[in-house]
Amino acid sequence: MSVILDVKDLSKRFGGLTATKNVSFSLEPGELTGILGPNGAGKTTLFNLLTGFIAADTGSVLFEGQELRGLAPHKIVNRGVARTFQLTRPFLGMTVLENVVVACLSPRARDAHDKEARAQELLDHVGLGAKAREPVETLPYGDLRRLEIARALATKPNLLLLDEPFAGLGSREIEPLAQLIKRLHREQKLTILLIEHKLREFMALVSRVIAIDFGEIIAIAPPAEIVRNPRVIEAYIGKTEAAHASA
Amino acid sequence: MKQLSIVDLSGAVVVVALLALTPVLLNSNYFTGVLTVCVIYAIWAASWDFMSGLTGRENFGHSLFIGAGAYTAGFLATVWYANPWYSLPTAVVVAIAFSLIVGFPTLRLRGPYFALAMLSASAIMQRLCLIFWEYSGGEEGLYGLDPLIQSPLHYYWFVLAILVAAVAILTALAQSHWGLLLRAIRGDEATCQAAGINVTFYKIASLTISAAFAGLGGALYAHYQLQVSPPLFSVVVSITVIIMVYVGGIGSIYGPALGAIMLTLLTELLRTFGEYRLWVYTLTLMLILFLLPNGLIAPLWRRLTERFR
Repeated sequence: MSVILDVKDLSKRFGGLTATKNVSFSLEPGELTGILGPNGAGKTTLFNLLTGFIAADTGSVLFEGQELRGLAPHKIVNRGVARTFQLTRPFLGMTVLENVVVACLSPRARDAHDKEARAQELLDHVGLGAKAREPVETLPYGDLRRLEIARALATKPNLLLLDEPFAGLGSREIEPLAQLIKRLHREQKLTILLIEHKLREFMALVSRVIAIDFGEIIAIAPPAEIVRNPRVIEAYIGKTEAAHASA
Repeated sequence: MKQLSIVDLSGAVVVVALLALTPVLLNSNYFTGVLTVCVIYAIWAASWDFMSGLTGRENFGHSLFIGAGAYTAGFLATVWYANPWYSLPTAVVVAIAFSLIVGFPTLRLRGPYFALAMLSASAIMQRLCLIFWEYSGGEEGLYGLDPLIQSPLHYYWFVLAILVAAVAILTALAQSHWGLLLRAIRGDEATCQAAGINVTFYKIASLTISAAFAGLGGALYAHYQLQVSPPLFSVVVSITVIIMVYVGGIGSIYGPALGAIMLTLLTELLRTFGEYRLWVYTLTLMLILFLLPNGLIAPLWRRLTERFR
């Protein structure tokens, strides 16, 4: 079995708070995996540890056989691990196209001859092609998410980490975005790891779910099983209700 | 990237022609000298704007590079009796060295560390000039530099040519992909890193370019004054440059250059007000910055030329 990402015993403490505790999991190439957990479970911290934005205390992150832990965020991106942010963070004062061109200038993507043309292609790909020349400030929230994805794709990732791509979106925006993620996964054979705290949205999307609570992995299973897992139910609904539910 | 429009280019030609011809028409060595200082300040303001205006990391100690360049010229002239033309390249190299020494430890950090480190570095250099007075000449500084060019008018034209080259180079860089990355850094460092960009590298490199031009201006100033003294390192110089940038329109390169010329001229013209000079100057500044927070020159130019684009 080949493995693209192998995380072993990753831990991080902030003072007395354990944000991530002995997290170990691995991803196969081309897998679409979800990380599930209630608010504050440590999902975003885990992403920040994987992408170098926060330094881990212990453990290792092997990507394509090479250690990522200890590398600066931009170096990790140039190894082929791209991420989006939960709160979209576009470069204000620039056009939509320029926002993507920035990522096309990263060392990993620099071989493309015409950066603007490549950025335009990526925007077409995520459905923002018509808005390329507009100031980024005019984009609605759903489009900003697409822009984040286009910017991440510009760095030519082999592994794409999406931090709550559906958060704050209306139900009419969620379905097309889910379709986009599916398409990326299918057409480009991209390995995708995505965070979500709401169960429903990504149940149909992912093939495997890693459930975490209080920084620890509590279950790894296909979506249909994860919703029946007692520890997951407990994390979501609380102990008493869970007891009632199973009774 | 953005193409330089015919409108901008013709505007630049007119302004440069005006600057070049004014001293010929006025035919006064005093006024030629004033304009020389104006143009040197313009080099400093444009160079400040390239780093701080584009990346948003405000440099409160630009006088460090200015003073380093000027004292390099001073030492070359008074200690080694070197040909004055060696001053310019040497000043650039020394200013670059200073920018690396301060930039490496501080530009990795976020927050106000860079601004504070630059401020203190320039203040420390000013003190060091006084402490090591045997070498630096103390309060009095270093005297007896040779002019690069004897004729004040010809020297003014030389300095003006350097300003034009500096603004052209910095504008070309600012409008290239490089400039786009610097503006992205101003926007959001984390997003830049997520886009695979080595933020620290670009910040240090832009500071180095900024310092090179500031040091060059410092040496030009030294060979105009024919002496250098510790106030060149002072915070007042840095703040004056920053104000010029804001009045000119931050991030536009040409705006700060013209802002510097305008404000330097203003201080000279206000001499007729005698002791009320600073009052009038400060009030004018406050009015400009209060009414036009984006600056005067660059926004005005953009509005005037809007319909021709």
